[in-house]
Amino acid sequence: MRSFKKHALSIIGTLGLWMTAGAQVNPEIQLGARGVVSFNTDILVHQTTTAVNDFSDTGLLTGFRQKLYNTFRGQLVIGFQFPDAESDLGQLFFHQTFIQLEDQSNIIKLGRSRVRSAMIEFPTLRDDDALEFTDVLNPFSSGENTEDHQYGNVLEYARIFNQRVWIRLHGEHFTRTPIPPETAEKDFSLNAIGFSIQYRVPQTQLWNRPILQQIGIGFNNFLTDRPGYTRRWDRALKNVTASMVLNLKPDPIHFIDLRAQAIYNEGFSEIKQVIDFFTMTRARALAAFGSLRYLMRKLERPALQVALSAGYKIFPDLVQKSDQFQIVGNVFYRLGENFDAVAQLQFRQFNGDLRTLYGESETRIQFGFVYSIDQSWNNQFDDRESLLNLEHGYIP
Amino acid sequence: MNRRDFLKTTTVLSAAVLMPHYLLTSEARAANNSRFPVALEPKMDGDVKEFHLFIDIYQHEVVPGFQFHTLAFNNRVPGPEFRVKQGDKVRVILKNKTELNHTIHWHGLHVPWRMDGVPYVTQMPVMPGQEFVYEFTAEPYGTHFYHCHWGTLLHMQSGMFGSFIIENDDDPILKKFPYEREYTLIYSAHDSNFVRNELNAMLERMKERMYLMKTGRFDKKRFAVFNTKEEFVQAVEAGYLPPYVISRRSQADLPQPNWFTVNGKSYPMTPNLYIRSGETIRVRLINAGQTEHYLHLHGHDFWLVADDGLPIPQPWQMNTMRLSPGKTADIIIEGKNRGIWTFHDHDTSRVTNNGLYPGGNLLALVYEDLPAEETELSMMAQKMGLPNLPHVALDE
Repeated sequence: MRSFKKHALSIIGTLGLWMTAGAQVNPEIQLGARGVVSFNTDILVHQTTTAVNDFSDTGLLTGFRQKLYNTFRGQLVIGFQFPDAESDLGQLFFHQTFIQLEDQSNIIKLGRSRVRSAMIEFPTLRDDDALEFTDVLNPFSSGENTEDHQYGNVLEYARIFNQRVWIRLHGEHFTRTPIPPETAEKDFSLNAIGFSIQYRVPQTQLWNRPILQQIGIGFNNFLTDRPGYTRRWDRALKNVTASMVLNLKPDPIHFIDLRAQAIYNEGFSEIKQVIDFFTMTRARALAAFGSLRYLMRKLERPALQVALSAGYKIFPDLVQKSDQFQIVGNVFYRLGENFDAVAQLQFRQFNGDLRTLYGESETRIQFGFVYSIDQSWNNQFDDRESLLNLEHGYIP
Repeated sequence: MNRRDFLKTTTVLSAAVLMPHYLLTSEARAANNSRFPVALEPKMDGDVKEFHLFIDIYQHEVVPGFQFHTLAFNNRVPGPEFRVKQGDKVRVILKNKTELNHTIHWHGLHVPWRMDGVPYVTQMPVMPGQEFVYEFTAEPYGTHFYHCHWGTLLHMQSGMFGSFIIENDDDPILKKFPYEREYTLIYSAHDSNFVRNELNAMLERMKERMYLMKTGRFDKKRFAVFNTKEEFVQAVEAGYLPPYVISRRSQADLPQPNWFTVNGKSYPMTPNLYIRSGETIRVRLINAGQTEHYLHLHGHDFWLVADDGLPIPQPWQMNTMRLSPGKTADIIIEGKNRGIWTFHDHDTSRVTNNGLYPGGNLLALVYEDLPAEETELSMMAQKMGLPNLPHVALDE
């Protein structure tokens, strides 16, 4: 009975606030949609398979923003995407459900969102095309899906200095795959902490800037269990990420940039053999990934993009020399506003213990289309990185 | 008094009267003087009156609590007032301190055609950092204005307008209606969200274009200029996509004004017109915005004495007049009905601030000789803390 009273009061309280909120300045409504559909051909050593429709990474994002009573803004984002067909996530995955508060120099974010497992993004067709190289991998996952490494329940604070230096402190709950006989995740406590610092030139100042666009370093520490160790620090799985983006040719028509990122996983020295995903994420490893991108812009809009990316990852502590290599080449050709035709070729090769897990090599050929929109209504205020706010005084 | 009666009373009070005893004080009158355009002082160069104007991006406060980035002449919205005699030789040296293109069109003046300020028709745009010298003889006399004619839809509602008054020592209006005081009221309407989005988009675009121009790559198609209509048609037939097909800027929505200003301010910061019983005043009305206004004066008829600056041979009386975009009108008000009278747009959707009534272009005709006791309120209102009519009432 006491519990019912407590609940009743909280419901009345919520309704009261809701009713008061009936009179309001319209919130800003944002809609983002991205459709990625491709025809895939996978060529393994002894087998070739095709997928008629691969629409993974297709997703919808909705956002609502409002000025608060002080200089802060409040935002709610809810979004879902279609995960890979063979993943264990079902048909839909709510990858973004968070609330964010921000002012000119501070951002506080709570909820499910992209974890800080990567410092920069790369020009691949899908975000997870080279995940083993581009992201710090989630050691609590079974590896059945890629979303476990990209999304989690985050608690993040970012402080921005001089519009360009970002310091982020973040804690996460990375998805932990239930270990049988458990069938569902029950522990949602903090299982990772980290921080990063990066210098980043706002995208709006593309034609102002010199060669250096971004440089940063980040630390991810997973609060893992490690048999035989009692100190928290020793039990933690520690990763360091360093990244850099260089604008080799910041030309409005023929633009070329170079992106590079390295991830060092300190690993556990006792891991000498990779036999599954669990040991792979805990073995000492160094991964490097880089992209060279050419973007041709016609009439001030992107028209053609050609990118060549390559990555190498080595596990130096294993008894058997193990490494992996990947190249990704793709071409995006714009057919209309926000609508691209795309072709991508990927080749992956595995050696040592990894060959036992993934096979010798894999070639994937993809043809498809990408359509993405980003629309907003009831605009109320400017973005932090707009030219007006950056160069002509910030208006809250 | 119960809650319902209280609300009823306050609603009636604020609806019936918006202007206060405070308006009669010398402080209020002094503050009011700053809400009219400031005359730009010329420097004499022989028999030429030389004026200096600059354009810059400026944070303008419309009302306390709301400011936006504007394009402003000499850091004022509206720009400073030109006031010269008919036949004066005028030189205006325009300095562009922004990263956008501009021109000045002298609206209603009979200037040499190459001084008319229409980009690509009478002159090239005044590009970032450039100066342009306008020279003309001040003709004809009357109430005129000036405004930017580049990106007119954006630049005018961003604040690039000001009054241009040409006086005549033999003014027939002054002879017919002798007056000592006159006022200039410049009306405008602003979609602050459109202004913000478009300004950001155009700033980004211009950075890109300036980068290209510095490297000697002026591309007519990119700049969307063609020597002839035939050349343009041929370009479209060959696959050229004009800007109205492929948007190169922000969202392609027409502006929906949410702020309505008089001399750059919205109620309650709009200027008031002071008058004494028996006095005649002249009010120069300029519509520098994009919406029509239906201006209604309470308690009086007024004389419409000039249309587009041209004296009307047979002035006629009215109490509501239409002021279309681009029009100027001179009216004479005779002080025949002592009190405080509102003068406002009778399309009351323009008597709003960001969609909320009251606000916008609401102002008042205030009799200076109104006895203070006439503004006193009842005992009931005094108990509410209102000894006199309130200066500001924003919650009808």
